Amino acid sequence: MIINHPLLGPRDAAEFIYLGDASLIDRPGWEDPDADEKFYEYGYLRDNPAGAHQELWYHEQGDRSWLVVTRNTLSHEITNVELARDVAKSRGRDR
Amino acid sequence: MSQVNRINGGLIDRSKVLNFSFNGRNMQGHPGDTLVSALLANGQTLVGRSFKYHRPRGILTAGSEEPNALVHLRSGAHQEPNTRATVTELFDGLTATSQNHRGSLEHDLMAITDFASPFLSAGFYYKTFMWPKAFWEKVYEPAIRKSAGLGRLSMKDDPDRYDKGFLHCDLLVIGAGAAGLSAALTAARSGARVILADEDFTPGGRLNSETLSVENMAGQDWARMTVAELASMPNVRLMTRTTVYGAYDHGTYGALERCTDHLATSDGKPRQVLWRIYSKRTVLAAGATERPIAFGNNDRPGIMMAGAVRTYVNRYGVAPGRDVAVFTNNDDGWRTAADLVARGVNVTTIIDSRDAPAVMNIAGVRHIRATAVMDTVGRKGLKSVTLTSGQVVPCDCLAVSGGWNPNVHLTCHQRGRPEWRDDICAFVPGGPLPVGMAVAGAANGSMTLGAALAEGHAQATAQLDALGVKAKGDAPTAEDEPRACAAFWHVKESTKRAWVDQQNDVTVKDIKLANHEGFRSVELLKRYTTMGMATDQGKTSNIAGLAILAEASGKTIPEVGTTIFRPPYTPVPLGALAGRCRGEDFRPYRLTPSHKWAEENGATFVEVGNWLRAQWFARPGEKGWRDSVDREALQTRQSVGICDVTTLGKIDVQGKDAAEFLNKVYANAFLKLPVGKVRYGLMLREDGICYDDGTTARMAENHFVMTTTTANAVLVFRRLEFARQCLWPGLDVHLISTTDGWAQFAVAGPNSRSLLRKVIDEDHDISNEAFPFMGCGEVTVCGGMPARLFRISFSGELAFEIAVPARYGNSMMDVLMEAGQEFDAVPYGTEALGVMRIEKGHAAGNELNGQTTALNLGLGGMVSKKKDCIGQTLSQRPEMNRDDAIRLVGFRPVDRARKLIAGSHFITHGDDATMSNDQGWMTSVAFSPSLDHSIGLGFIKRGHERMGEIVRAVSPVHDTEMDVEIVSAHFIDPEGERLRA
Amino acid sequence: MPEFSLVSTPPLSGTDLTFGDSRVTSPADLAIVSFALPLGGESAAKTAIKSAYGVAVPDVGKSVVAKDEQARLVRLSVDQGFVIFTHDTPDAERVVAAAIKGKAYTTDQTDVWCALEISGPSCRRALERICPIDLHPDAFAVGDAARTTMEHLGTLIIRTDEHTFLLLSASSSAGSFLHAVETSFQNVM
Repeated sequence: MIINHPLLGPRDAAEFIYLGDASLIDRPGWEDPDADEKFYEYGYLRDNPAGAHQELWYHEQGDRSWLVVTRNTLSHEITNVELARDVAKSRGRDR
Repeated sequence: MSQVNRINGGLIDRSKVLNFSFNGRNMQGHPGDTLVSALLANGQTLVGRSFKYHRPRGILTAGSEEPNALVHLRSGAHQEPNTRATVTELFDGLTATSQNHRGSLEHDLMAITDFASPFLSAGFYYKTFMWPKAFWEKVYEPAIRKSAGLGRLSMKDDPDRYDKGFLHCDLLVIGAGAAGLSAALTAARSGARVILADEDFTPGGRLNSETLSVENMAGQDWARMTVAELASMPNVRLMTRTTVYGAYDHGTYGALERCTDHLATSDGKPRQVLWRIYSKRTVLAAGATERPIAFGNNDRPGIMMAGAVRTYVNRYGVAPGRDVAVFTNNDDGWRTAADLVARGVNVTTIIDSRDAPAVMNIAGVRHIRATAVMDTVGRKGLKSVTLTSGQVVPCDCLAVSGGWNPNVHLTCHQRGRPEWRDDICAFVPGGPLPVGMAVAGAANGSMTLGAALAEGHAQATAQLDALGVKAKGDAPTAEDEPRACAAFWHVKESTKRAWVDQQNDVTVKDIKLANHEGFRSVELLKRYTTMGMATDQGKTSNIAGLAILAEASGKTIPEVGTTIFRPPYTPVPLGALAGRCRGEDFRPYRLTPSHKWAEENGATFVEVGNWLRAQWFARPGEKGWRDSVDREALQTRQSVGICDVTTLGKIDVQGKDAAEFLNKVYANAFLKLPVGKVRYGLMLREDGICYDDGTTARMAENHFVMTTTTANAVLVFRRLEFARQCLWPGLDVHLISTTDGWAQFAVAGPNSRSLLRKVIDEDHDISNEAFPFMGCGEVTVCGGMPARLFRISFSGELAFEIAVPARYGNSMMDVLMEAGQEFDAVPYGTEALGVMRIEKGHAAGNELNGQTTALNLGLGGMVSKKKDCIGQTLSQRPEMNRDDAIRLVGFRPVDRARKLIAGSHFITHGDDATMSNDQGWMTSVAFSPSLDHSIGLGFIKRGHERMGEIVRAVSPVHDTEMDVEIVSAHFIDPEGERLRA
Repeated sequence: MPEFSLVSTPPLSGTDLTFGDSRVTSPADLAIVSFALPLGGESAAKTAIKSAYGVAVPDVGKSVVAKDEQARLVRLSVDQGFVIFTHDTPDAERVVAAAIKGKAYTTDQTDVWCALEISGPSCRRALERICPIDLHPDAFAVGDAARTTMEHLGTLIIRTDEHTFLLLSASSSAGSFLHAVETSFQNVM
């Protein structure tokens, strides 16, 4: 597969490490009243869509950026690639 | 015997003679020949025996689809089985032998299976060798193995070299036939970066085999001229002898280039190169494959594809027979007759299954219409054919054409499904095609020359347009030859076995039987009958097979569908897939900075990941590794030892928020670690299980140096970047690995300070008061060399780790040993390191095994409940904090002479040794030279409350057990006085 | 005088191989210092780097030669880059930190890497065997830099001239790295 890196252009997926669902960015707050339940969901429950899927890839043999890649799990078509850092910030992770 | 069947013409160089041998017989051919064309020239039509029935077989095709003409090529370690002789380029000194016979090719002892064929129908093995069960391993399997398989391996290491590579282009053109050349020429003249790949050694595809004209010149000449133009252009990479074997995601293709297979020797160069081609756009112009018609005894040597017969005559100047007959269901077969007659080869008869007038007038050739071949005669070479009319036609070569199948394979590698086209009786590429691919020419069902050239040009133009490049030039022109075809798959009147898949010996009857027994899906048919398996993957047999299945099951061909085409298009040797990664080059090695010193000083090395680490340093007179390891551990505890610990991961952590960041990734607190201090840190996974441990030193307010375990260095870095970028992107923290940058040595033992005092420059105070346990700082050594000093201990002794820039590492080892001479300092390896850490009760990989918690390790108190950190919340789950949780403790054998066994499970005395009574397991064991007996670490339920209890340590694997006593994990200096000295 | 002295033995030191029209050498005394742009302090750091080297910090995937031609700046990622220069004492980090007035976080990377300079018309053909990056001049111009993997080894490749590339890889696997490059040339010559 080829991942079109937002800064570096198309690069072979062999340079990347796959992690999984980009919901891993949304780590719950530890002091939330239902933190146990939220962390359980965060740690163990994943959607497994047949279609568009936002997932985390790490450009380990590259610029060491974590990316959020939107990939169709049926066709492997990649429709969007963003820096995970930007995605995290846009989801309100400011610390 | 000379080249009796050689005729005039063809693309061979008659000025040079190549000598070769087949089954020990010396023969001659010319440059431009394949092994098969040379064999035919020498009158050799019998070339092998079939897989299952050991039927005499000849040559069916002139291409990579060949099911029969498979040989052992070369000899000795270079011998390669199942080489398709139809695409083996002839070279001087070539040796080949035939396959699949015991005794000679002419008198195969295994041919008896042919007469037993009534018992060997589809599914024979499944049905027969079921019973009795006990017979399978001892009787059936050895017997089947002996007779199964195609060809023989040399059983020697592959002496050849292989390589891999990466190529990039705007347009990849697969196939250099009429459509491919037209496409490549269009793109090349437009300035695009073009790769043109073709499996043949002479580009041109069918143009080389036909007598058709392009641009008013002979097709062969047009191909040669076009190839010369392409070869001269800097933006074109012309790759002959290169098979694009797979279409992968996003325009990535796999290709195998055969670099030296056409030479007598590789001369030290890679024999084959496996290319990964990254293309922006692709034109697939893979052509088409002619298919046979199934009729009784249609596998005799001398029965060939009609197109192949033309190839041998037109391209190679070889007459495949003296008296040729043609059997066809389409117009194209007629051209074989016409071309042969034009070359003076005797064609007696055209048998056309269609009830239609002659396609063309060919003088002296009899046309028999609405008739088929029903049976043949001639066990080792064709003598005559019998028609459905009962008529017998004498001939030594029968050219058969059942129509042409577009080579759709690569269009299906991304799960595209082909579509049926009634007008050409064949499947053509359906959707969806691999991203960026367009198909042109016969591969796309455009079966005539004029159409192929036009489509090649048009597809290239469209592909360039998508890249924003304007195509230049017009399509080359040619006339369209007659190509009408009528569906006709097998001759129903035949009572004899009619072969569909000659490579796997599958007959029409087998397919009908499979259908009768319920294997009606084409995928099941394939697995039940083995049709379409092995080296040719059914290129000549699949479509006929599924047409017969359709007929038998009352479905249409499109309803039956095809099996899924997967890479590779043609076989790819495992050697090519391995590339350079063999033996010592299997993976890279990482060497520690003092590797050279260790080599010179008797080290035995052990692989730790990619690292080679000194395991122990043997001295003269030592009888085994234990002697060395015991000595190293004892001498370290008694005086001082030195160990290269560079392999531990080192990560430079800097930033205003570095401390806060560490506080989040470590379970224990780091916020208030003072500058100049080191702290042991424990990392958890988010699920609360222990992940990694190490020490982190605060070198300055905003600067930390983290260490990780050797094994997890890369993983921890990755995870820290995840935390930094995805979880806490608002923190000012920056990471960079310095693992390789610093040569780091543990200097351990009561004399370690005295030793270092001699090396560290005088202005640095390293006394216990100025530089206490868990202190760290920057120092200089040997007169101003910058170094880092950490007072940390893995051995439990007074110890330091000292780091210098890696390029000084080997010299530093020398210096430390020289300075340590007066203390009898010893170098120690990973074994002594392991012994001492077990003696001290430190957890390592065996204990941090991805199943254990901080509580299990006795480090539960380290997990701060006052702050957030990765793993904090889930580590508090009740099930992971049960009262009877396993705890890390020490063990010693009650009988001190016995040796503990790692992996033993603990059973309470009085209980049976069953899983339900399992109390835990032994993780690490060592012989302690300090205590003079075997010691162990392990996890056992409530271990910390069971000191002194005797339990059974049971090892069912070793079929042994012993009584062991639960003791503190700290076998040496439990109060920690030594390391604070 | 101190009792002991240390000798420098950098990996690949002295490598000088010729393959037809191409040459593989190990540049002597190549110092490498990383700089990280502080969060919120990016522009101050960039200004300091520009005033130290006379050139702006390049974009990610690019490198640029300092105004006095004594150093090369390489941008590796959004917040990180390298200063590469010739310097023979083990204090390169201090030199860079002083030059940029401590406005970026600096780490000595000299000994983390080993370097090979590959030059000559054939070198692209050799690199094709190990480098997945497109090195056609239209795709990888002079000054372009890419971190990638070659024969399982993380490698930073920089095009320093039309037919010249600087390759950096981990120093601990220097032997395997040189072997990979050497084999590539042998295989295509």
